[in-house]
Amino acid sequence: MKNMTMVQAINNALEIVLTENEKVVLYGEDVGVEGGVFRVSAGLQEKFGEKRVFDSPLAESGIAGTAVGMAATGLKPIIEMQFSGFSYHAFHQIINQVSRIRNRSRGRHTAPIVIRMPYGGGIKAPEHHSESMEVLYAAIPGLKVVIPSTPHDAKGLLIDAVRGEDPVVFMEPKRLYRSVKQEIQEEEYSIPIGKASVVQEGSDITLISYGASMKEARKASDTAQKKGISVELIDIRSIYPLDRSTIGESVRKTGRVLVVHEGPESYGPGAEVLTTVIDEAFLYLEAPPRRLSGFDTIAPYPQGEEWYIHTPERIVYELQRLVEY
Amino acid sequence: MSRKKYSVAIRDVIAEEMRSDPSVFVMGEDIGALGGVFGCTRDLQKEFGKNRVRDTPIAEAGYVGTGIGAALTGMRPILDFMYLDFVYVAMDQLLNQAAKLRYMYGGRATLPLVVRGQQGIGRGNAGTHSQSVEAFFTHIPGFKVAMPSTASDAAGLLRTAIRDNNPVMFIEHKALYASSEEVPDDPNFAIPFGKAAVRRQGKDVTIIATSLMVGRALEAAEALSKEGIEAEVIDPRTLLPLDLDTMLKSIEKTGRAVVVHEAHKNNGVGAEIASQIMEAGFKFLDAPVVRLGAKACTLPFSLVLENAVVPGVDDIHEAAKQVCYK
Repeated sequence: MKNMTMVQAINNALEIVLTENEKVVLYGEDVGVEGGVFRVSAGLQEKFGEKRVFDSPLAESGIAGTAVGMAATGLKPIIEMQFSGFSYHAFHQIINQVSRIRNRSRGRHTAPIVIRMPYGGGIKAPEHHSESMEVLYAAIPGLKVVIPSTPHDAKGLLIDAVRGEDPVVFMEPKRLYRSVKQEIQEEEYSIPIGKASVVQEGSDITLISYGASMKEARKASDTAQKKGISVELIDIRSIYPLDRSTIGESVRKTGRVLVVHEGPESYGPGAEVLTTVIDEAFLYLEAPPRRLSGFDTIAPYPQGEEWYIHTPERIVYELQRLVEY
Repeated sequence: MSRKKYSVAIRDVIAEEMRSDPSVFVMGEDIGALGGVFGCTRDLQKEFGKNRVRDTPIAEAGYVGTGIGAALTGMRPILDFMYLDFVYVAMDQLLNQAAKLRYMYGGRATLPLVVRGQQGIGRGNAGTHSQSVEAFFTHIPGFKVAMPSTASDAAGLLRTAIRDNNPVMFIEHKALYASSEEVPDDPNFAIPFGKAAVRRQGKDVTIIATSLMVGRALEAAEALSKEGIEAEVIDPRTLLPLDLDTMLKSIEKTGRAVVVHEAHKNNGVGAEIASQIMEAGFKFLDAPVVRLGAKACTLPFSLVLENAVVPGVDDIHEAAKQVCYK
C-alpha cells in the first residue's frame, strides 16, 4: 500500500498497462518529454521510450484520428486531450469514427481506445479549460464515459478501460488531482466499468454524484448525518453505462433523491439519472426527485468559480428540503 | 396565406429577410449555383448575387468561423449545413466560440448567427447523414435551439431566429421538406421562441413530440382515440427556451406523459423534458413519465432498419397505453 494522489494513481495505472501489454501506446500534447501539463505521465517516456510514449502536435482531431487507425491495426492507444474543452476539435473523429468501428464492421473490428481528458473547474483557469460537458460524450452510443472521484477508483477504472475492447472517454476531475490522498495498493487491480459505488449507506435520502462534485457531496453527507439525516451516498463512477439497478435499489429504499453534478443543469447528465429514477422507482417516491448542478451559464472566470460550483451548504439545504417535503 | 412546402417556406423567409435587411447573408456548401441540395436557397443567388449568397469550400469549421467573425462585426449570417451531421467538424467553433462569445465579451458584443440545416431519417442516408444533433447544442449554454415540425412554424421560427441577437441552432428535418400547409404571407410573420403548440386536444395522456415525431404522435393519437384514450399532443417547437408551462398545464389535466424524439434516448433531450415534468409536476402525475427515442446504435442505411431504430407510431401508441395502465 502507498499513499497516492489521483495524479500518482493514474500514473501508476498507466505504468502497469504499458508494462503488461506491449500494444499499449500513450500520446498527446506535452505527454512525452514534459510528462503532461498535470504531470500525469511523468517519467513514462523515460521508462518506455519515445515509440510508446510520445508528444503529438497541437491537433486534437489528428490525435483521435491516428488512434482509430492504430486501434484498427492492433494497437491499444491511450490518448490525452489536454483539457476537455479542446476535445471538440476531435468531435467528428470521436462520434463518427471512434464510437462506430464495432458497429460499422459488424463486430469484426473494435476500437480499444481510451481518451483521457481532465475536466471541470476549481483550478482558476479560463472558461475553455473549466467546463464539464461529459453529457456530450455520454449521449453517443458506442462510448463509455467514466469519471472517478478517488485515487483508488481512478487507478482501477483506468486499468479496466485499457484492458477492454471498446472505446472509453475517461474524464479526470482536475481539482481532485492533488487535493485528495488515499492508501492504495501498488500492484495491479481493476474495477469493472458500469458499477456504482455506495460510499455510505443510509435510509432517509439518496444522494447521487460523481467526479469532482463528490468532494462537496461527501462533506454534505457528513454534515447531514450530524443533523440527523441518514444519507445514502452513491458515486455512479460511470455516466454511461449507468448503474440503473444500484440507483433503483437505493431510491426504492429511501424514497427521496438528489443528484449533484458540476456542469449546467439543462439537458445535462442529471436528467438521465432522474429519468432512471422515474423508470426504476417512481411508485416509491415520497418527494419529487431533484437536481443540484452548475448554473446554465459558461463556466466562469476564476473570480466567479466559488459562486458557480455548488457548496456543501447548498447540498445540505437541498437534502433538508427534500427530507421535509 | 399561401400553400407552401416546408423547404419553400424556409427559402421565402430567407429571401424576405435579405430584401428588408442588407446585413443578412447566406453561406454554405452548394447553396449558390445549385440552390442547396434540398432547394432551401433556390434562385437566391440570382436575386442577391454572389456576395450575399456565398458558396463555400467543403470546410465547415472554416465557414462557421468566418460567420462568427461576420456576426461580431455587424452582419447577420445564416450558415447553411447541407447535413447537420457535418457540424461535428465545426464543433470547436460552435461550442467554444459561437456559444461563449457574448459571455466572454461581458454582453457587449452581439452574435446574430443562424446555423440551419436538416437532420434525421427518411432517405436511407446512413450513419453519418441521418443523425440528430440537438442534444449537443441544448446542453452548452449560449445557443437557442429550434426544431420546427410544420411549414408555417418553419417560416415563423426562422424569422425569429434571423432577427435574434444570439446564435440559434435551427434544426430542420429532411423528411418534412416536402410537407406543405398554409403559410401567412405577412413579411413580419414570426413565432416567438419558447411557445409550445398544442397540436391536438385530449384529456387522458399528454404526448410531447418534436420534429418528425409530431406527425407520428398525431397518428398514434387517432388510433388511441378509437380505443377511448384521448391524447393531447404538444410540440415544444423550441427546446431552448423550453415552454414548461404549456406542458404542465396539460399534465395537470391528464396526469400522464410520454416524451418522444427521434434522437437517441440515452442522455437525449427527452430526459430533460421528463425531468422538468417530474420536478415541477410531481403532484399531478399518476404514472411514471415514459421516454421514447432511438435505440443505442448507429443510424442504419436500410430504410426498413431506420424505422426499426427510431420510434414509430406503434411505439408511441403502446407507450401511451402503458402510462394509462391499459
